[in-house]
Amino acid sequence: MTPPTDRPSDTPVSYRAAAPGATIVTPLDSLYALYDRRSGLTQLVAQPVPAILSALAEGVATPGELQARLERDFAVEGEAGALAARLDELVALGLIERL
Amino acid sequence: MERSEDQRNGAPDADETRAVAGRRRVLQLGAIGAATIVSVRPALAQTAVSVMTCEIPVPDPARASQYIAPDGTLVAPGTPGAVPGSATPFAGEDVRRALTQGGSLPGTSADQNEAYLNYIRRLQAGTGGFTCFASIQMPR
Repeated sequence: MTPPTDRPSDTPVSYRAAAPGATIVTPLDSLYALYDRRSGLTQLVAQPVPAILSALAEGVATPGELQARLERDFAVEGEAGALAARLDELVALGLIERL
Repeated sequence: MERSEDQRNGAPDADETRAVAGRRRVLQLGAIGAATIVSVRPALAQTAVSVMTCEIPVPDPARASQYIAPDGTLVAPGTPGAVPGSATPFAGEDVRRALTQGGSLPGTSADQNEAYLNYIRRLQAGTGGFTCFASIQMPR
């Protein structure tokens, strides 16, 4: 039986954001409303979600590449492993894809 | 004052680097296990929600005749220890202040405050006021 992806097991996992225009992001003071056209669901999110989605919009990235993009634009803080936890949440909600 | 290797080489010293970092926006990635996303069902998304001005009715209009027990569950009117619901809804900002700073909801006695806050903490999707409650919980 072939595995679901043909990525070799030692290749780092990477992530992809939805196509441009698939979501509408609207700032609401300290929150952002994120309307996902495909599902019709609105998510109320706070940073770092819009920053992560924007960084992923530049192209498919591994967690390390994504961290580098975020550090280029922000002074990044947080627990080690926090980015991985945020990416898991976004995958669970269908906002990004794990490749 | 000790001079770092970097200073001797003319590279930015630690203070300068911190100053540069201070000029950029901080992005807090948070902690593992601290969820940052709340999903709103399409039906609720019709309503324009403003965190500051949204309201939470206690209890929701469909159950306005019921009383609220101290633990926030809805009970029959006249149940000992339970309080009647509030005649007016509470502003999201007042609820947030009461929940985060431990103050009281405006115009409530201690018993009413305890019952109402516990009612609000139990709100689920589909009940009036849930969207407002979800939005006031978001981290700054």
